[in-house]
Amino acid sequence: MTSTKPNMLQIEDLRVTVEGKEILNGLSLSVGRGEVHAIMGPNGSGKSTLANVLAGRPGYQILSGRVSYEGRDLLALAPEERARAGLFLGFQYPVEIPGVNNVYLLKAALNASRKARGLPEVDAFEFLTLVREKMRLMHMEDSFLSRAVNEGFSGGEKKRNEILQMLVLEPRLAILDETDSGLDIDALKVVAAGVNSQRSPERSCVLVTHYQRLLEYVVPDRVHVLVRGRIARSGDKSLALELERRGYDWVSGAAA
Amino acid sequence: MSAALTARIAEDFAAAQALAPAPAEGRRRAAFEVLHAAGLPSTRDENWKYANLRALERLRFVPAAAAAPQGLSLPAPLEGFSRYVFVDGRFAPEFSAAAVDSFASLAAGPQALSASPLAGARGTDERFALLNEAFATDGARVHLAAGVPAQRLEVIFVACADGARGTSYPRLEVSLGAHTQLELIERHLSAAGAASTVDSVAVIELARGARLTHYRLQGLSGSTIAFDTLQATLAEDTVYRLHGVSTGAAAARSTQILRLTGARAHLSMALAALGDRQQVQDTFALVEHRAPHTRTEQLFRGIAAGRARVACNGKIVVAPTAAGTDSQQSLRGLLAGTDAEIDVRPQLEIYTDDVRCSHGATAGKLDDNMLFYLLARGLDRDTALRLLKWAFLADAFAKIELPELRRQIEASLAEVLKDAALKELL
Repeated sequence: MTSTKPNMLQIEDLRVTVEGKEILNGLSLSVGRGEVHAIMGPNGSGKSTLANVLAGRPGYQILSGRVSYEGRDLLALAPEERARAGLFLGFQYPVEIPGVNNVYLLKAALNASRKARGLPEVDAFEFLTLVREKMRLMHMEDSFLSRAVNEGFSGGEKKRNEILQMLVLEPRLAILDETDSGLDIDALKVVAAGVNSQRSPERSCVLVTHYQRLLEYVVPDRVHVLVRGRIARSGDKSLALELERRGYDWVSGAAA
Repeated sequence: MSAALTARIAEDFAAAQALAPAPAEGRRRAAFEVLHAAGLPSTRDENWKYANLRALERLRFVPAAAAAPQGLSLPAPLEGFSRYVFVDGRFAPEFSAAAVDSFASLAAGPQALSASPLAGARGTDERFALLNEAFATDGARVHLAAGVPAQRLEVIFVACADGARGTSYPRLEVSLGAHTQLELIERHLSAAGAASTVDSVAVIELARGARLTHYRLQGLSGSTIAFDTLQATLAEDTVYRLHGVSTGAAAARSTQILRLTGARAHLSMALAALGDRQQVQDTFALVEHRAPHTRTEQLFRGIAAGRARVACNGKIVVAPTAAGTDSQQSLRGLLAGTDAEIDVRPQLEIYTDDVRCSHGATAGKLDDNMLFYLLARGLDRDTALRLLKWAFLADAFAKIELPELRRQIEASLAEVLKDAALKELL
């Protein structure tokens, strides 16, 4: 049965420009169900562009290529439809939205996803129980709920908030864009525990990261190195360690 | 102002006097004389260029005749607040609580009318207040004598008459004795379907140490033409918290003149205005710091959708006598329609060195990053846009300390933003 299911994510020969400049240059990648993939690469290699294109952020021109998500044409979907179909982007720079409470956003997001799955809106008590449980996991205080989305949050709080949203929404494909950047080691462990708690045979995760450090705590099934807009090398978790030892020049040189 | 308009005001004034020789004849006539000589402002006047004054051409200045309101639905009463209702500027005891010492209708007793709080020279900005003074036949007088305990009052002005039959002149005079405290809700509503002309005035005088929290909610019908003037004088150590929400009327102009005349007077004003369709919401606020160590926080949030125009001209003047002034101004407008217009205009005139004045003014569209963040969490575009509009306004009423009133305001804003889903979230 499982073998007949399409891959979670299948990217074929994706070419993307931003303001006329080609950033993704024939990228292909497939992520299987239940797998965690890490995408590493030097600055400017196109990692964040990939994450944003998958989530549907405007401002990117797709020249060619196909992206299928659970067999659906992902690029044909609006950002909100992708989210409701179970795709989650953890933002590299989570946006501050003064005037919108965290709890409002969480509830509205959860209900949008439930509605898309034909489920009734979440009961208020159930919802708070769920959120509080996930907040404990992320070491977040109760007062957080009544604060405005990311407003005045420290860098670490913003990243934890992204993971909290992921835990509440339970996406099938999470794309975490440099969620580890700017975190101290304690915060990194908390974030990693959050990500690990979501691992299941039905859920996949793409970790976009510059450093190997996160991968000590979230062990990936596959590691890809992105160089100048395409995958230059793929391997298992040992590739990340080798990269750490030899630096990006090692792959960059090979890809040139 | 055109000679024709001046002549018509004179005619209407004579007609009104003949119809009902009202009390306070001297005061009315004095106001009329000034108005007659000086005229009403026009859009050529600097502070009036965003207002919609075209309606003046067909305005009938005589006070609308007394009538029983049809289809009147009043908001749910708030606990602890005594309610007084005026219909077309006239006291309507049948809808009101029993009169108390602190409240009187102006028409009811000569003692309330002997004083003339508007006496003195007035500039162009206060001419609509003169118009009200010349024509109003009744009004609410709230007076707290020194030593009286804190009070809560709600005054509702209902516009009922059609503008073709005359103008509705709501009038509210508030004077707070030394160290007294008042929470005051002032509402302006329309009877169902009424297309009225309204020229309202609120005059506020705070004696030393008095504290007033004043909620002004303008929710007149979409076919009403509304002019409003608020004049407040703050003596030393007073605290005046003003919350204004303006969502109604086809064209609304609110002129607010606030004078901080006593040392350490503190004014905090938070105004929200929403315009849709072809509405005009025009606010002019002049704050004068005349005494040392006075403080102002002024915040305006306006949203213009459809083809609406929402304007806020906030002028702060710090006199040479006002050393140590602290003034913060934040005016922000949001364009929510491609044919909408936002005009925010901060003005600062400082005539002394020792001051702290900050000001910020922005006019723009919703932030694309915020929108994408919400979409990426699965919210549909309409909900996301409304949520962001809501968030934009939230500053303006975040500090309302009466939870029940805040809920009412939020619900009415959600109504204006056509948002049932948001109501559920609140």
